[in-house]
Amino acid sequence: MNRDHWTPYAFLAAPVTIYLVWVIIPIVQTMVLSLSDWDGVSSTLSLVGFDNYKRLLSDPYFIRSLKNNVTWIVAFVFLSLPIGLAMAMLFNNSMKGSRLFKTLIYLPMTLSFVVVGQVWSWILEPKYGALNTFLRFVGLDSLARPWLSDPGIVTYSVIAAALWRQVSYSMILFLAGLQNVPREQVEAALVDGANGWQRFRYVILPALWPSTVVTITVSIIDSLRAFDIVHVLTRGGPFYSSSVIANYMYIQAFNNYRMGYGSAIAVVQFLMTLVFILAYLASALRREVDYT
Amino acid sequence: MRSNRYALLLTLTVCLMLAVAPILAAPARQPLVVNSYYSDSASSKPFEQLVAMFSKQHPEYDVTVNVVAHEDFKILLRTWLNSADAPDVVTWMGGERMRYFARKGLLAPVDAVYTPSGFDNQVAPAFRNACSFNGKLYLVPRDFEWWAVYYRKSIFEKHKIPVPQTWPEFLDACDRLKKAGLTPIAIGTKNMWPAAGWFGVFNLRVNGLDFYQDLCDGTIAYTDPRLKNAMDYWKVLLERGYFLDNHSSYGWREAAAFIYRGEAAMMLMGSFITDDIPASLADDFDFFRFPVIRKDVGLVEQVPVNGFMIPARAKNKDAAVAFLKFMASKEAQDFVANTQSYPVVYKGFQSRDPYLQKGFNLISGSDGAMQFYDIDTDPEMADIGMNALVEFMMFPVRIDTILRNLEVQRQRIFK
Repeated sequence: MNRDHWTPYAFLAAPVTIYLVWVIIPIVQTMVLSLSDWDGVSSTLSLVGFDNYKRLLSDPYFIRSLKNNVTWIVAFVFLSLPIGLAMAMLFNNSMKGSRLFKTLIYLPMTLSFVVVGQVWSWILEPKYGALNTFLRFVGLDSLARPWLSDPGIVTYSVIAAALWRQVSYSMILFLAGLQNVPREQVEAALVDGANGWQRFRYVILPALWPSTVVTITVSIIDSLRAFDIVHVLTRGGPFYSSSVIANYMYIQAFNNYRMGYGSAIAVVQFLMTLVFILAYLASALRREVDYT
Repeated sequence: MRSNRYALLLTLTVCLMLAVAPILAAPARQPLVVNSYYSDSASSKPFEQLVAMFSKQHPEYDVTVNVVAHEDFKILLRTWLNSADAPDVVTWMGGERMRYFARKGLLAPVDAVYTPSGFDNQVAPAFRNACSFNGKLYLVPRDFEWWAVYYRKSIFEKHKIPVPQTWPEFLDACDRLKKAGLTPIAIGTKNMWPAAGWFGVFNLRVNGLDFYQDLCDGTIAYTDPRLKNAMDYWKVLLERGYFLDNHSSYGWREAAAFIYRGEAAMMLMGSFITDDIPASLADDFDFFRFPVIRKDVGLVEQVPVNGFMIPARAKNKDAAVAFLKFMASKEAQDFVANTQSYPVVYKGFQSRDPYLQKGFNLISGSDGAMQFYDIDTDPEMADIGMNALVEFMMFPVRIDTILRNLEVQRQRIFK
């Protein structure tokens, strides 16, 4: 038998097996659990069909969590992308200190969400926190809010803390993408008399399309996954106002002994993420055909 | 080359012998595995010392202690109870938290720990309820916390406020504190359970032990007018602004810091608050029993009990019983009381520490004891209930809608 024929498969066998055992099979198990009423403790369980999913449709706390996730997605895509892109454009040159700025802006990315959450819970503390103290200091007392207690604004406060870290991620992705913009095209446009904005709009932006797709997909997946920062800042409170589906799933599965219900939430989260991943893969595979 | 090979062979043989030797040399001791959540330094060292004391008295047991942080412990416990490799002893709490597992047959009865004298001769009777299920004992209690109103003596003295014993006196104290520019009551509801403490105390003072027990068991509707009546007393405090502003931003320790800084005066909290009070202020703190609201209702307090359980799947139950007999002994409990200032459960406990003695008298002078809302009711109901209490504290006018929603959830959970 020709050795080249089966060597790739031999190399693939180990990683694929690991992936199957530790990722695929647990996903299938979770899907089965979501059709049961298991409490995570008993050694027996009974299958209840789609009852858990039916309950999700009318669960007011789940609906609120879902709405918050939509807010997260909108904020991550429409705020972290433009700001990240602007910063990437700003620092994508050899001006003095550009490397320093890039490093400083990248630093939040090195912190875990738990640390980010802890730091921001001190900044947003209503009486002595840095933000409110600053606002009172410059005379903007009326803007000082209970950032993490007011049910109307708490989600936005949590998102702001997460964005602080997410923007640096977008910036890095766009910086990498900018390196791939063909210089000849930009210079040709310059020679043709295009001004800065026109160069950006008609040459750079289209060339950045692959990076943009990656950044959008990553941002959406990260916003659906958000858990640690919500858990540290507010625990999803006050009374579920800042809850997101990952947080709600954790509470149901691990605090409330409703593992079956928690699994159903996990499956919903998985399917939502899957939609975006498949869209990304379709676009990426199509692009590979175009650009090679 | 040859000498290198011989050197390697020799080294390997020596290593093998060293590895095997301890196994061959060790005496056949009975293993005992204890999983504990005493993870912070104030509680882990005393427990290590207790285990050392036990090992000295019983060298025939080889004790292994696995310490797991509290939050992780709560989740891992279920895995341990179901595993074929279950530990022999686990730390845990009493009440519904224990009954949840006992009901599913995951715990072994611990009546053997109290033979021959019997539970009621060794432990103060107030604790029996928290340790039993269906007539058998499943928790070996060791220590408990009491809930009372902690306050700064210097603030009360400065504003000449006497320690309140009745509801009107309590309102008067709060009013005077507020007029002096202080926050009368500090509370941190980020983790929700401090609000459950207030919920419990109003139910116990206005409606009594049986009502509150039935409410936790899910047999009383949340729309019952007696519950609304109890909440109305709470509403008075909320509408007069006696609580800390923006309390849902704070964990309980951050809220207590307002009292340490002298900006607030009182906090309804468990006796473990003493672990958090800065040493310089320790002498300035005292506590009083939550005031009487209705004279015809008995004095019942919230007294969560901590102790040990034996998983049904434990392999070394005899070793576990021996270990727990030691933990239930006066010697071990006195050690805990002296090193950690926790009150312990054995009958006739006397402490040289006046603070501890006052706490113990608070309990023995009560007509009954409950655990705590989130320990005594179904976990899912507790989560929804506590969230509702935080919402009520922030928006007291929503009380009717809140109670109606709670009732809908209760019917779904306890059907």
